[in-house]
Amino acid sequence: MTTPHCEVAGAIQELADTIASGRLTEPRCRRRAEELLQLLEDVSSGRGGSGHYEAMQKLARELVEDSADSGCVETGESMSRLLAQHREVFASHIETFICPSGDCVKLAPAPCQIACPAGIDVPSYVTLIGMGRDAEAVDLIRESNPFPWVCGLVCTNPCELMCVRGRIDESISIKFLKGFAAERAMSEGTYRNPAKARDNGRKVAIIGAGPAGLTAAYFLALKGYRVTVIESLPVAGGMMMVGIPRYRLPREVIDREVAMIADLGVEIRLNTRLGVDVTIDQLRDEGFEAFLFAIGAHGSLKLMIPGEDDYPQVINAVGLLRRVALGDRRSPGKRVAVVGGGNVAIDAARTCLRLGCEQVVLAYRRSRSEMPAHVEEIHQAEEEGVALRFLTVPKEVVGTDGKVTGLLCLRAELGQPDERGRRRPVPVEGSEHLLEVDAVIPAIGQRVETESLVPLEELKWSKRQTIMTNNITMETSVSGLFAAGDAVSGPATVVEAIGGGKRAAEALDRHLQGIPQPEMPPVPVRRRRLECIEVPAPTKMVLKRPEMPLLNTDRRRITFQQVELGYPENAVREEARRCLRCDICRRCGRCVEICRDLMGVNALQLGYLDFDHPVASDLRVTSERCIACGACAANCPNEAMVMQDQEGERSLSLCGTTLNRLDLERCEACGVVVGTTRYRNFISERVSKAGLSMEGGTLCADCARRHRAARQSDNLPPG
Amino acid sequence: MSVYYLFQDAGKCIGCHSCEVACKSNKGLPVGPRLCQVITVGPKMVGDLPRAAYTFMPCFHCENPWCVAACPTGAMQKREKDGIVFVEESLCVGCKSCMSACPWGAPQWSAEARKVVKCDYCKDRVDDGLKPACATVCTSHCLHFGKPEEIPPVRRERYAKAMAIFE
Repeated sequence: MTTPHCEVAGAIQELADTIASGRLTEPRCRRRAEELLQLLEDVSSGRGGSGHYEAMQKLARELVEDSADSGCVETGESMSRLLAQHREVFASHIETFICPSGDCVKLAPAPCQIACPAGIDVPSYVTLIGMGRDAEAVDLIRESNPFPWVCGLVCTNPCELMCVRGRIDESISIKFLKGFAAERAMSEGTYRNPAKARDNGRKVAIIGAGPAGLTAAYFLALKGYRVTVIESLPVAGGMMMVGIPRYRLPREVIDREVAMIADLGVEIRLNTRLGVDVTIDQLRDEGFEAFLFAIGAHGSLKLMIPGEDDYPQVINAVGLLRRVALGDRRSPGKRVAVVGGGNVAIDAARTCLRLGCEQVVLAYRRSRSEMPAHVEEIHQAEEEGVALRFLTVPKEVVGTDGKVTGLLCLRAELGQPDERGRRRPVPVEGSEHLLEVDAVIPAIGQRVETESLVPLEELKWSKRQTIMTNNITMETSVSGLFAAGDAVSGPATVVEAIGGGKRAAEALDRHLQGIPQPEMPPVPVRRRRLECIEVPAPTKMVLKRPEMPLLNTDRRRITFQQVELGYPENAVREEARRCLRCDICRRCGRCVEICRDLMGVNALQLGYLDFDHPVASDLRVTSERCIACGACAANCPNEAMVMQDQEGERSLSLCGTTLNRLDLERCEACGVVVGTTRYRNFISERVSKAGLSMEGGTLCADCARRHRAARQSDNLPPG
Repeated sequence: MSVYYLFQDAGKCIGCHSCEVACKSNKGLPVGPRLCQVITVGPKMVGDLPRAAYTFMPCFHCENPWCVAACPTGAMQKREKDGIVFVEESLCVGCKSCMSACPWGAPQWSAEARKVVKCDYCKDRVDDGLKPACATVCTSHCLHFGKPEEIPPVRRERYAKAMAIFE
């Protein structure tokens, strides 16, 4: 057995070995050790409660104090040491029901949940949505993330990248399922806030009403704090509102979710600029005890080429998107060049089309495969008519009479990879050519606008000019000042900002309550262990990820209407049924090993969980070959594989997927189940190879014994 | 057959099940599996009296065992040196093939371990020169374990006594 990485699993192994070795000879000491082992196993299997840690400490202490036996004292000391050193690991097992290493099998997390920066329990809400329980799904998501609707539309879905189903065909459409559930719950009026803790009277100020700030506001309000959010713009939502265009994220979505947060008693002061309209000192005088800076990265990086500052038609993308979001829908020009290859560049280009630009060229200095923008977004931009020009490096903005007339560019070739592994573009000498445009929109990156924080001299900044924080607690170099979101990470995603806001809220709470800060990064929380939805294997294989219906391209080119129209309800329920429930099946492959290597039946074609034997995954093959012996189920560490006898049938299922169903055979004497015909044929074939035959018809083991005993006694001579 | 013989003198057995208890406690078995079992046959009326027979059913350690032939994983094995048939626990995956194949119902299911357990004549005890657990506790001394030649000829003697005619 390999040494576990998880301290809980390690402690169990150590203690179990000690008990088995027989070193603990004193009965009282042995009993204590066994009790301690039981408590450890509770913690490791998700049955730990609030008193477990203290109870384990007490038992370990008693082992030391109440015995003269050296084996007993050593065991107690060792356990006490483990408990003290890894207190947080034990606590996190008890509180989150997740063992990040996966050594505690029942608590092994699903890859999608681990991938989510907000740590949402994805398999549980996907299952709830599959069951049609949308409101519960939204409640569950909002335990980790207050913006299910926003994220359901614009999340960069790292969960789907990790989705195990993607190894069979395509990943589950997690993002859109979430969006559907949130929309449905909102429309039915079942989108609700969780219960709030009692008002504790303490005031926290959050600077910036973006995803990070509002997430922190939500979690702090739930803990009973009086939260005020300071926002310089006339609208709440931050980059979600002024960075993401309306055709991807309708304003109503943000407004409704922000309103839910405001409903918790969070005060949002709009049009209030820190350092201008209000200062930190003034806020301190108002009674605010702690601060969170979630000011985002609203500044733009410059192209650093001649002519950039000379014309009003050079408009940075962030500025343009903000202007448009706030209602100014004047077109920047007839022919526009957007410079950059990220999501913001695509957003700016598509926005320009909708503002009436006749020609939109997107100039990117590398090639298509290096573009950081989301593939879907690039695809949709091209459909709408954005022209992509790769390997194009801007050299100079040219113009006459104070007006842009073109962008002078160089062609580039890809050279050596840089430190991030992307090949560096190398301009080709003498390849100058002019893009004839009347507006240039640089979208090559964003920076944090540091001006409002200049008075805070002790605040430390990173090399990238973002706020430096402890990445576990999000606390800055100034005690009581926290930071989160793009202001810390540089321009990133909504869901990363939400994750940061959540961490900051937890740390702020601890700071104000005087509780020590955590030393390990937060672990996501398993919210439920839901039963699996029953799906026959052929259905599970045949169901395909649905295509997202899109608004027609004509309308997409001229309006800001939402492009992705959402799945119909039946597609959503079916899609949820494709989920493999990786929160239950941890893909250890024991079932496959047993069926293939030990039983020689090879009925489980589960290539997706077996990197050493990359066979094609097909859940349908099982019903052709499986003899229903049940060895896979008997050895499944987490009851993911289940064999059941019901209504004359034996069925085998993996996380709800019915792999096989066979008619049962019964004992001819007592009627007890003796297996299936295929199973008995398998045995009889093996036995006949040894020159034997299955004797005595179909009798169960008990009846066989009784039957033979009776025959034997008949043969006995009279006693 | 193994080189050993576990002989029950059925005429002396009173069906007290001590052998079963000793067996289970020696192996530390949970509720369910009974590696050896005393089966009560009858009662039947013999003459005017009801009579019951108690048949001791351990594993017979066959010469060509069904269970070993049926086992796909090689967990069920026959010991080279003395022919004892036993389960190598680490190899058993719980497919129960041996249980279905055995005509005597000797292999038993341990729901706790999710594996098969089976009488192995307490081979660890035998290797230490001891008798199997069942044979050490028999209250009426009807269980005898040893090489066939060491087993007392009780049945023959009793039959002879019954047949004896004193002139």
